[in-house]
Amino acid sequence: MKIFQVALGILAAIGGFVDIGDLVFNVSAGATFGYQLLWVVVIGVVGIIVYSEMCGRVAAISGKAVFDAVRERLGFKVGLMALVSAQVVNLMTLTAEIGGVAICLQLLSGLPYRSLIVIAGIAIAIVVWVTSFDWIERIFGYGGLCLLVFAVAAVKLDPIWSQVGHGFVPGMQTQNPTLYAYFVIGLLGAALTPYEVYFYSSGGVEEQWGPKDLGLNKANAMIGYGLGGFLSLALMIVGGSLFLVKGIEPEFLGSIALGAEVPLGQIGLLLAIVGILFAVSGAAIDTLFSGAYNLAQFLGWEWGRYRAQTGAPRFTVTWLVLLVLALGAVMTGVDPVQLTEFAVIFSAVALPLTYIPILLVANDRSYMREYVNGRLANTLGLIYLLVIVVVALAAVPLLVLTNVGQG
Amino acid sequence: MSDSIDLGLRVVDRQLLDSEERRCGKVDDLALEGGPGEALEVIAILSGPDVWRARAGLVGRLAAWVGRGGRIRIPWKDVAEIDVNVRLSKRAQDLGLGHGDDRLRPFIAKIPDADR
Amino acid sequence: MRTFSSLVGRVVETESGRGFGRCRDLRARLGRGNPMVEALVVGRRGLLEHFGIGGSQQHRRDAVPWEAVVRIDGNRIVVRDGTEVE
Repeated sequence: MKIFQVALGILAAIGGFVDIGDLVFNVSAGATFGYQLLWVVVIGVVGIIVYSEMCGRVAAISGKAVFDAVRERLGFKVGLMALVSAQVVNLMTLTAEIGGVAICLQLLSGLPYRSLIVIAGIAIAIVVWVTSFDWIERIFGYGGLCLLVFAVAAVKLDPIWSQVGHGFVPGMQTQNPTLYAYFVIGLLGAALTPYEVYFYSSGGVEEQWGPKDLGLNKANAMIGYGLGGFLSLALMIVGGSLFLVKGIEPEFLGSIALGAEVPLGQIGLLLAIVGILFAVSGAAIDTLFSGAYNLAQFLGWEWGRYRAQTGAPRFTVTWLVLLVLALGAVMTGVDPVQLTEFAVIFSAVALPLTYIPILLVANDRSYMREYVNGRLANTLGLIYLLVIVVVALAAVPLLVLTNVGQG
Repeated sequence: MSDSIDLGLRVVDRQLLDSEERRCGKVDDLALEGGPGEALEVIAILSGPDVWRARAGLVGRLAAWVGRGGRIRIPWKDVAEIDVNVRLSKRAQDLGLGHGDDRLRPFIAKIPDADR
Repeated sequence: MRTFSSLVGRVVETESGRGFGRCRDLRARLGRGNPMVEALVVGRRGLLEHFGIGGSQQHRRDAVPWEAVVRIDGNRIVVRDGTEVE
């Protein structure tokens, strides 16, 4: 049982941490700045571990997920604004992820993109409808582990390891500090994506975590997101070792998969595409559920995959509607990779509104009893609050100044 | 047995759970009786899209319109307990809550495997 | 009908104009019957408490007793001169 519960963390991590946003930003960062931004990944990983551990603890002790806390602490008016912004960003992200799934299917099958969008949508709907929550976790969590091929590729590409080591020390050697700053924001935004947290906290409630699961919560957060961080580092190293050197701009998911093909051949390519497919599909499901969780939690509807469709009708209709909307958006021909950059940046802007209520609830003794934040959790919690606020304020200006990362 | 609580912090915007632990809405507002110079008491919980009008100005009115505003009034005597949720002593149907879910359920149930 | 939302947000001041800030919350006594409102939680301290910071059991000096309210008009709640925050 315990091993399977670790899968929840792995899904949220692999599905959320290494989703299309992470693939795009980490490989791009490597292709643009080599290993110089590796330190940002570490900061992002610690941040998401701190944030999700808090959410998991709140879920285990109070049975509440993020948007319950948002409404209770921010009130109806401000909470509604947080909800609307979260839903808009969520839908953008979902659109990008589904587009990513269609691209992967196209790389594997050669079938036309538009048909694959529909196939992807129907497949996701069927999987979610028929499969239980824990099997969804297992399938996509373990399938996403194929991405470990990038770790092998990173080693096989034989980078100058002392240079890689330098990348873990914050520093900037570039003519383009604005673009550097943009990538810092983007990498943090991609690591701290809100929907991962919505999904993780709601999942904790779905699994009916209690005080005895607090250790599991910590393990999930650390192992799951730690693994995701490890993969992000691998992606950046591949970016720096291969793409920077060859001057390739990884604009397409296919190019990213080349990162595994060059050092490892056809098997590398196949594992990369399959890994990306599972990770991005898992992320799509996480994002889809998050949209439904947020609305239901804010309004007080019955919610949860564990309630079955008939147990939570409005929740079910919500995710079906969101799926249809996202499919429609992908059909318009928007480029998923480009859309991802916007989704990540706007997620970063909206993040404080959902982070602050959790930090407040985690400190509320009437909610958390003796499980309130200790000194470490609060110190880190406040440091990251500062980080999140700075990122939120800098995100849009940098997006504009760098012309969406073009420099 | 007299406890003081801050209503906005502990009651308003909290989850309503019925006697069967079913989620059935949020406490959107409270109905009060009394005024200056006399006692002011909380007589009922108000819940439903129509109640949002008063909570969030223009945005609230828009949300109420989207939600096709209805409002339910739950007399305070039907509140069983207040912890992290507001627990009611009756079932949602008996109080007029959870109507949205009840209305959609028959349609969802027609789709195969809807109770997985 | 009076509602919670119609009271919260109003400026609280004495008849002679001494201000206490806005009403942030209502403090009520729970007992056998309906909860009885005993005070208006006001001002900045009241706001911090509203977010749950600063010890929920210790009630700071942030509330104006309901008995002190003389009338409610416009967008104000008017209390008797001489009322103190307790």
